Order: sequence, then structure tokens, then C-alpha cells
Amino acid sequence: MLEQSQLHVIEARCTQEAAPRCRTACPLDMDVRAFLESLAAGKIRDARKILERHLPLPGVMSAVCDHPCENACLRRDLGGGLAVSSLEKFCMHAVPSQTRPIIRPPKPQKLAVLGAGLAGLVAAFDISRKGFAVTVFHEGDAGEKLRSDFPSLGEAALAEELRSLEKFHVSFCPASLDEALLARCLEEYAAVFVDASACDLAPSRDGLDASTLLWKDKICCGGWTSLTPTGARYASASSQAGDGRRAGITLQRIMTGVSLVAAREGENRENRLHTPLDGITPLPRIVPEGDSYTEEEARREADRCIRCSCMQCVKECPFLQKYKEFPRVYARKLYNNASVVRGTRTANVIMNGCALCGQCEVICPEHFSMADLCLESRRDAVERDVMPASAHEFALEDMAQASGPECAFLLEDPAVSPSGGHAPAMFFPGCQLAASRPGQVLAMYRYLRENLPGGASLYSSCCGIPAYWAGRETLFNEHAETLRRDWESCGKPEILAACSSCMTALKKALPEATVTALWTRLDKLMSDSFESTAPKDMSVQDPCGARFDEEWRRAVRSLAVKAGIHVEEPLRSGPESACCGYGGLVWNAQPDVADAMAKKRAGEFSLPVLTSCIMCHDRFASETESWHLFDILPQTAQEGHLEASAPGLSARRAGRAALKEAALEEFLGEKPSVRHDDEPVLLRISEEVRQSMERRYILRQDAVEAVAGIEKTRARFLNRENGHFLGSWRPRNVTFWVEYTADADGGFTLVKAWCHRMVVAGAIQPSEKVILEDKVHA
Amino acid sequence: MALDPNFTTDGGDWICAKCHVPLEQIKVQALYMHSAFDVILPRCPSCGLTLIPQSLAEGKMAEVEALLEDK
Ligand code: SF4
Ligand code: SF4
Ligand code: SF4
Ligand SMILES: [Zn+2]
Repeated sequence: MLEQSQLHVIEARCTQEAAPRCRTACPLDMDVRAFLESLAAGKIRDARKILERHLPLPGVMSAVCDHPCENACLRRDLGGGLAVSSLEKFCMHAVPSQTRPIIRPPKPQKLAVLGAGLAGLVAAFDISRKGFAVTVFHEGDAGEKLRSDFPSLGEAALAEELRSLEKFHVSFCPASLDEALLARCLEEYAAVFVDASACDLAPSRDGLDASTLLWKDKICCGGWTSLTPTGARYASASSQAGDGRRAGITLQRIMTGVSLVAAREGENRENRLHTPLDGITPLPRIVPEGDSYTEEEARREADRCIRCSCMQCVKECPFLQKYKEFPRVYARKLYNNASVVRGTRTANVIMNGCALCGQCEVICPEHFSMADLCLESRRDAVERDVMPASAHEFALEDMAQASGPECAFLLEDPAVSPSGGHAPAMFFPGCQLAASRPGQVLAMYRYLRENLPGGASLYSSCCGIPAYWAGRETLFNEHAETLRRDWESCGKPEILAACSSCMTALKKALPEATVTALWTRLDKLMSDSFESTAPKDMSVQDPCGARFDEEWRRAVRSLAVKAGIHVEEPLRSGPESACCGYGGLVWNAQPDVADAMAKKRAGEFSLPVLTSCIMCHDRFASETESWHLFDILPQTAQEGHLEASAPGLSARRAGRAALKEAALEEFLGEKPSVRHDDEPVLLRISEEVRQSMERRYILRQDAVEAVAGIEKTRARFLNRENGHFLGSWRPRNVTFWVEYTADADGGFTLVKAWCHRMVVAGAIQPSEKVILEDKVHA
Repeated sequence: MALDPNFTTDGGDWICAKCHVPLEQIKVQALYMHSAFDVILPRCPSCGLTLIPQSLAEGKMAEVEALLEDK
């Protein structure tokens, strides 16, 4: 699995936790967004708590700050940057102090500060709050420098902050700030700060390391004046306070003997957060009626904050929404999950909830790929044998059925094969198209045989994508070997695929084969327009497998135009298209997520939808009017069945088997040996019960075998109140329970069916077989 | 993680159709993924045929199965 270092690289791609612009612009790292959010919610006390947590000397800072955050604010061109400074002032006046820090006896090391400018006092504030005593040497009285640098500063606020400093073991000492004092301080104090705004001894900023503000020995400097664009010098409160804070960190490290430079990257915050601004309407700044904001005005102004945040991928994906986090956090959770040796892997649901559709990677400004991460996690879990057995079991059984003797077949074109020849093309409909539309597959095959020079073979099997999605690399590779053997046996033809997932899987399994979209070939074969009963205006769905397949998407649109359809592009089409919920086997592992995906996507179509993937069609069919390309093409439209809903799980399996029988009968004259509708017992299943079985992944065949088996052994219960029989059957790792009635004609009617995976002795039959299979150890 | 020990049928007057005797609540073992639990289930006192009601299979049992699969 991932190395920790790789995790950090992946994690870092997601910028959702990066600071918004206001915060990166603030040298004091003020959490402006949280402050505004509290204010907007009317929680003024909480807002003040946030102020006090971030701002040194809050009474002074809120009064004098030159607020670089306002210029940096993303609202700037959408009505004007937030009035952060005025709101801070409002907050400080509206409610009293909210934090009561505990004052402890000071630690032995002491700091000397030369100059009571803002930088010096901030350094004194930060260091004293860490429990060290500080002496501030100053000329004139203690507040004089601040008063002259910041004339707007109120006397009361200044006096209160100075008083509070004294409580925290900061003493003020009038002195002449000269070389002799500096020399004395170097002897008597553990570290020294020289405030450049108040003491001439400080060198210029240029000579110092910007990240530590270390001057020499154990001396730091800060508090220089700033330059306006026109070249005038002025005292910037934010810049000076920022110096005091930065130097304070260095000074504390000097005093306690910690590396001055280690782990300080966090202090240099870049603007990494991507905040989408589309749909955000300009709102003008709220100007106070009087001198300052009233509470109501303050709330309205704070509410203009966009609450800068990315979440672009999350907004589009029901899976990412389900677990209430964003990719950066998911990456960490998946990593932790993979490191669990003993204990519960709580993030299994994360790796198995992703449709592996790739949409987030396209949408994300940093191209974060949840699909890669989740697939990697699945492979790792499979390799270490900790993948939850039930997550993909049904899908993998389905794959086995589709590629097993009941359904899979390879039919060489009967026109060329008797003479030992091979057709240059092979139609590969895919197991789901075969399952849903066996009649149309056959009709398309007839057309291809007749219209492709040299004919075509027909290969019905699974492409192997379920194994790939499940993270079962060995199974995928074994399946790829079968595909290769068959493909080579018919002369390595060009493969025409009708499913975008098949395209993906076949390209991986047979990299040396030419795999072409059926639609591309048809578009070339059919140059003229044709009649179709489809609606004249339709939305188009690009399957996630065709996200990067421009040819596929172009051919689909071209065929639609030939059918007289005007195609409307929905929100997020082409490379940004959204998954129907079939991808990544999420339909098996987390049907609720898959359903949410189908619903969300279907809701984005304003017109009946045209799909080029049968699973997209079948998953949208219950949500909206849905047409598959086969339903508009003249070769296949007649064979179509435009039912309101898609075939169920049992019908799909029957569909595949039916295709095999029909194809072999039509082209090879083989009479079907076993009739698939020959069931060992006559079992009646109402539509309601069938649907409840679908939700539990119970096939008709399972129920039939269960009733037949139970009736044979007679190991069953009887409900004397209503004459219902009940029994269980465990053909594989699942126990099926069937409750049924015995009908007068010798048949049965199913009342209910349920299943579970646990084994209970006496509740399973045939019993011995099961214990061996499960390898259970009590 | 434990199964609440006693589970009766989801209603109805069930008997073993083979032995024609009423079911009794009897302790049995439920096994899954290298773990075993004691549960008391309706069982035929004569042949041992044991009934797992739907509410148990789709409730507590499903929960425990999922938990064990994540272990
Ligand atoms: S799009 Fe998603 S993954 Fe990318 S930065 Fe934004 S929140 Fe993170
Ligand atoms: S809109 Fe809000 S969160 Fe965004 S930069 Fe402005 S103040 Fe900060
Ligand atoms: S389902 Fe698709 S969009 Fe959602 S996380 Fe997975 S790959 Fe990304
Ligand atoms: Zn019995």
C-alpha cells in the first residue's frame, strides 16, 4: 500500500483545508472565515472567542489593524471585500472578554524587549502567554510609542492591554535603548527582541532571515515601518504585529533550546484554496447608518462572506457526500485503514463506495483522483485478504455466469469459418447488453456480418471489468488470458465494443488488440439519415468509460443527428460526465450510493435521455424516459423492448443464456440441449416479491433451487396458522430462506425470501458441505 | 460484539413439518469468519432443524456480519 510520504503527496493535492485568502493575507493567521460565520449566525460571544484566540493584544489590534485581509478578500470584485476590521471593532464593543487564561508562576527563562512599539508588545504578549516573564524597556512612558504610531487608538483600550500584560509578568522599565542596555540584556536575559520602530540599534529587514527574524546571537528584530506605493513610510499594524509574532516563535525556541527552523512551513501560507465563484451574485458592502455597526448591520455584513471553500468534487458526487468529508480526509482515512493490523477497518466503506468513475479527477483543479486511491486500496485489501467478502460477491458471481458455459460463446462468421478463414472484425456486445437486449444484439450481429467486408465473429462473454473494479488483479489477469486465447483463435480481429466499460477493460486485457467503439464503425457505415421513433429533442449521457474517448462521444452525437434528434448537452457532459452508479461495483457494495448517483444524474437531464451504455440506460430507466442507441438505430430498433423499467437480476442472467441459444441455433443450427425455462419445481413469484428479492440480490434460480431442495429433503417448518412452509438452502456462502405455500396443482407460491451469511448448525442444508466451504473455526 | 441471545419467530405457530412437534427455544452456535456466538433460536427438539427469523437475519445478524467483515 501507500508509503506515508506518498500519502502526503496525494493528500496535499486536495486544497480544501487550505486557508482562504483573508487568512493567508493576515500576518497573525486570523481565522476570519470562522469569525464571520459566528457573527453572521448571531453568535457574537463565539466570534469574540475566535478573535481572542488569534489576535495578540485584541483590544489594540482590533482598533488599529490596517486589515490586509479586506483587500485580499474574494468578495472584493463581488460587492467589495468584507469589512473585517469594522466587524472586529463591533465585536470587541458588543461583548466582554470571553477567555480567562490562567496565570501561572513564570518559568525561569526571561525575555528582554527593547522598545514598546507594536512589534515589541506583541512579542511580549505572545511570550508572556507561554509562561515566561518579560521586561519591556522603553523611552518615555509605556504607551507613548503606540499612541504616536496609531493616533486612532483609544486610551482605554491601550491602558487595559498594558494592565493585562503586567498581570502576565510583563514589567515595563524606562531606559535609554542603547548599546550598553543591549549588552546588559544579553548577559541577564535568555533572549532579546529589538523593536525596529522604537530602537535605532536594529538593522534593516533585508539583512535578516525572513522566516526567523533572527539578527545575531539570541537577538531577534521586527517592527520596521512599511512603504506605501507612492513611497511614504508608515506604521502597518498588521505587519509590525506579524513581526512580533514571528520573532516570538523564534525567541521561545531560543529560550527552550529548540531548532529555530524546524516545522515552520505552516507559517508561510500560500493561496492554495480553490473557491469556485460561479453563481455568486455581487452584494454591496453594508455601510453602517451611524458611526459603527449595529448588531443587525454587523450580521448582514458578516453574512456577505462567501465562506470560501472548494468542495467542487464533493458537490457533484453522492459518494463523496455520503461520508461527509472531502478527498484530503478520505485519503488519510484510507491510509489509516490500510495500516490496521488488528481491529476494525472502518474506512472499508469508503474504498468500496466509489464508482471509480473518474469525474472528480477531471473536476478538481488539482486533479485529485479518488478513483485511483480507492482502487489501490481495494487491491491492497484483496492482497492482504481483508476485503469484506460480501462487498462484490454478487457482481463476481455474475461475471462468472456471464463468462461460463451457460452464457459465453465465440461464434466465428459461418460464411468464412468452414474454409478455415477468420473474419477481420469481432462484435463484442458485453455481458450487460447481452443480458438486457439479446434480441437487439443478434439483430446487430446480422447487420454487421452482412455489411462489414469479410464478415464478423460474435463473442459474448464478460470483459472482466467487475474483477478489475473489485481489485481482484489475479482474477482479472486470468480472465484476460481466456479473452486472449479466444481472440487469437479467430485471427486477432479488430474488436467492436458496444459498452464503454468493455472498451476500458479490453484495452487493458488485450493491449495489442485494436478495440473500436461499435458506434464509430456504425457512423461510418451509415452515411445517410434514417427514420426513428425517438423524441426529436434529447439530452445525451456520456458514460464514464467514454470520458476520455472523444471518438465514442462524437459518433454517438453523429448517429443521433442522423436519426433526426437534436441533442442537448446536460450540465457536465463529455470529460466531466457523471456516473449512473454502475461503475466500480458500487451498485453491489452500496446500492444506496448507486441509487443516489442515478437519481442525481437523471435529474440533470431536462429531456428524455439518450445513452450509449446499456447500464446507464437501465439505471436511469426508473428515473426518467431513457433510450439506448439500439432503440434508435434501424438495425435494432424493431427488436427493442422499451419497457419502463430495466430487466431484473434474474432476467439479465436468462437474457445472456437466451442470446447464446438463439445465436447458436440461428448460425450453427444447434438445437438447444437443455431448456433454461425447465425448472425443477413450478414456483410462482409475484412482482412484489420479485422486487423484494432484487433488493436482496436473491435470484429466481436461488428461490427455485431452495424450494426444490427443501421439498426433496422435507426438512421444513410449517406455520399451522396459515399453512405456510419455511425452509433454508445454502448453495454457496449465503443461506437462502424461502417461505411458500404448496398449491393445489403441485406448484408453489413464494411468499417471502431472505438471506444471511452466518452459519447456524441445523439451519442449513446440505449441512456437511457448508462447513467445509466456510472453513469456520469456532 | 454479541448477538442478543434470545430470538423467537416473527409470529405464527411454527412446528417442524417433519417431526410434527412444536419448536423450542434452544441454544445453538452461529459461526462466521472465525468467530462463534451463542444464540437461542426456535429449534425442533427432535431433529434439530433450526429457524432463523427474517428480523434476525436482516437485523442483528447482518450488522454483526458487516462488523466481522471489517475486522
Ligand atoms: S475539487 Fe475536491 S479534491 Fe480537489 S481540491 Fe477541491 S475539495 Fe479537494
Ligand atoms: S469571502 Fe469570506 S472567507 Fe472568502 S476571503 Fe472574504 S472574508 Fe475570507
Ligand atoms: S464516484 Fe467518481 S466522482 Fe465520486 S469519488 Fe469516485 S471517481 Fe470520484
Ligand atoms: Zn424435526
